[in-house]
Amino acid sequence: MAKELPIVPTATPGSLAEISAASSWREYRPEIQEPGKVNPKVLFFCPEGALFHEEGIIAVDLSVCKGCGICAVESDGIVMVPEYTGVLGIFGVKEGSK
Amino acid sequence: MSKVLMTGSEAAALGAKLSKIEVLSYYPITPAFPAMERLSKYIEDGELNCKFIRAESDHSALAAVLGASLAGARSYTVTNSQGLLYMTEVAYHVAGLRQSVVMGVANRALSAPHSRFPEHGDAVSQGANGWIQIFSENNQDILDNTIQAFRIAEELRTPVMVNYEGYIQSHTQEEVEAPSAEKVAAFLPLKRMPVMDINNPQGVNTVTSPDFYMDYKFRQNEALEKALTVIPQVSEDYKKEFGRDSRGLLEAYRMEDVEHAIVAMGSIVSTARLLVDNLRSQGKKIGLVKLRVWRPFPGKELYENLKNVKYVTVLDKNIVFGVGGALATDIKAAFYGRTEMVINSCIIGLGGAKSGVAEIKQAVDSTEDCSESKNSSVWIGL
Amino acid sequence: MIDKINLEQLPQEDLFGPGNVGCKGCAAAIAGRQAMKVLRERTMITIPASCMATLGGNNRRTTWKIPFYHTLFECAPAVSSGIRAALEVQGIKNVNVVSWGGDAGSADIGFQALSGAAERNEDIFHVCYDNEMYMNTGGQTGSQTPKTALTSNAFLGKPTNKKNMLAIMEVHGIGYVASASIAFPADLMAKLKKAASRKGFSYIHILAPCFRGWGIPSDQTVEFARRAVYCGLWELYEVEDGIRKRTVEPQLIPVKDYIFPQKRFSKISAEEINRLQQQVDDYYGKVGK
Ligand SMILES: Cc1ncc(C[n+]2csc(CCOP(=O)(O)OP(=O)(O)O)c2C)c(N)n1
Ligand code: SF4
Repeated sequence: MAKELPIVPTATPGSLAEISAASSWREYRPEIQEPGKVNPKVLFFCPEGALFHEEGIIAVDLSVCKGCGICAVESDGIVMVPEYTGVLGIFGVKEGSK
Repeated sequence: MSKVLMTGSEAAALGAKLSKIEVLSYYPITPAFPAMERLSKYIEDGELNCKFIRAESDHSALAAVLGASLAGARSYTVTNSQGLLYMTEVAYHVAGLRQSVVMGVANRALSAPHSRFPEHGDAVSQGANGWIQIFSENNQDILDNTIQAFRIAEELRTPVMVNYEGYIQSHTQEEVEAPSAEKVAAFLPLKRMPVMDINNPQGVNTVTSPDFYMDYKFRQNEALEKALTVIPQVSEDYKKEFGRDSRGLLEAYRMEDVEHAIVAMGSIVSTARLLVDNLRSQGKKIGLVKLRVWRPFPGKELYENLKNVKYVTVLDKNIVFGVGGALATDIKAAFYGRTEMVINSCIIGLGGAKSGVAEIKQAVDSTEDCSESKNSSVWIGL
Repeated sequence: MIDKINLEQLPQEDLFGPGNVGCKGCAAAIAGRQAMKVLRERTMITIPASCMATLGGNNRRTTWKIPFYHTLFECAPAVSSGIRAALEVQGIKNVNVVSWGGDAGSADIGFQALSGAAERNEDIFHVCYDNEMYMNTGGQTGSQTPKTALTSNAFLGKPTNKKNMLAIMEVHGIGYVASASIAFPADLMAKLKKAASRKGFSYIHILAPCFRGWGIPSDQTVEFARRAVYCGLWELYEVEDGIRKRTVEPQLIPVKDYIFPQKRFSKISAEEINRLQQQVDDYYGKVGK
């Protein structure tokens, strides 16, 4: 039996976070170390829309952030930190990263 | 209802006008252009409330019509031959997105070499694209088929091509009975099915993985199969409303007690009728099946009508290179394993080559001559 | 001077995103997000085959929160023309109808439909996001690839110049033409807002680097979009009803600071760099402000 699908091939709006599994791409993740220094313009430079502000404070939604590093380059107060800080395997490859 | 002399182009345009199309787009080509010009005139004279998009190409014309249909408007275009080939990519999109677009096609031969004359090669090139294809024998058929096409397309959410031949129909006047606008409006109530809807945002045609793709295609094919019952129903309803019988999928003409049957579609059916009458009067047991619907292919219904004949002469105004006539090929496939009859594929009238009574007679004779091989193919009129 | 957009006052909610299935650091996605901040809910978008068409959705899920149609490669502006016509017959007003193509879908295979819609002065606007290559098929050369750039099918560098799409669109006689850059969001958004508010056809050409195609680190996407403007090679301007205005004054940093770090220019000659620098100097010297 064919699946139940809409007649017209269409998609409904929603998050693509789990489909893109963005967080599994990351080697580095942005860490907001000095919130006061973050330039609000970075909200427009994040390709994912992973940055948001709450009561004047900018935060990262790590379920969609792919770790491109643009925000850290474009603003003070944000630094990229390695996703995995444990021991690297014999070939220097990440082992059992999250 | 009064009868008026009109060309096939005028019948197509009138059919679209009576169907109250809302968005029209086309790109000029011969011999479809008189239908286009007539529609533009209706709009400019204020007789038809329709938006016209003066596309810069055939591809864009069908794309614009597709966009309009996605946004909920009843949409129409006309083209033929090179224009239709150029539209092919969009034609697949229209069908895959299940849009109820109707297109008139003034069938013309395909280049090269260049030819401006009638033939079914353009329609046949679209035989796998997912559109329903209806063929018109005369100008009355063009009008009736166009109106019915909107009903069929909107019910099945599948686009429909209404074929009529270049010049033989597009530029030739015949008496046509035009139904009243009110009656057509009642026959074709407008129910909008917008997909691009500002109040209900959706993504159309997102990247689709293999498991989903195949299911969509199954559903698309299912709609084509359903057309085999919907088209005769619409034809019945049309007869009830307007008194004319379009005969659903096919018409059996003088098929009682026959040994030999001609199968044909389009304008050549009229010529074949003359030959059948003529031969019948000489006592020959010959009849004719007019195929009105080529896609979906009504193999079962054809078989029911032809199962007792000895000879079938198929008039194919097209050639699928390296295979033969498209119609004969479909018939042979549909009849496979069920029959001992001779099915003779007669390639006839390509690029406007003569296809009168004499040529059809030649085709019929060749079928009875070739009883040795039950699967033959001949070219008539070289 | 172009109206300033107050970045802080823009809505937080994304209508493109959050999240997409593109590469990390994708400038096409940045452009899309910036645009949707000003175009808002009453917008319909058609996107021809390209990265942008594919990264917004998957099977039954889309990151677009407005009606979006991934069209065939050649015809997005034609589809949008049809959508506008259908909205008009139904009396549906105040909707931005946009076609949004890559550089191939706008300047090459998509050019016929774009030119047609512009000439008809359709009440829609077209945005070209330009990564100067055919990225969705792996980064081949197109008309928007700059001279000498290496691509996946030009190992010696492209021998001919980048086609000037803004000039071509301007001579269509349409009311509004503008260049933009993802590094200047206020400028970009103001231009989109203007295109949306005008009747008739507008064209906006956004420089949107692709870090993979250009051979730069992913975190440098915005930086190189900025350098392109600051070195003078990508001028930010608009032509509104025939009046041309530069909207961002470049600092005129050396062209080589833009060119050299990009791997795609690794075979560029010193003469070519000098030629580019000379061109920039001449141009800004002559045209002035
Ligand atoms: C008719 C047709 N030809 C070729 C393709 C293959 N194709 C898909 S996207 C693409 C390149 C798109 O390049 P561009 O418009 O620059 O957008 P980008 O992917 O770089 O963002 C090509 C060649 C296609 N989908 N349709
Ligand atoms: S690293 Fe890239 S994806 Fe993640 S928040 Fe920063 S800009 Fe966005």
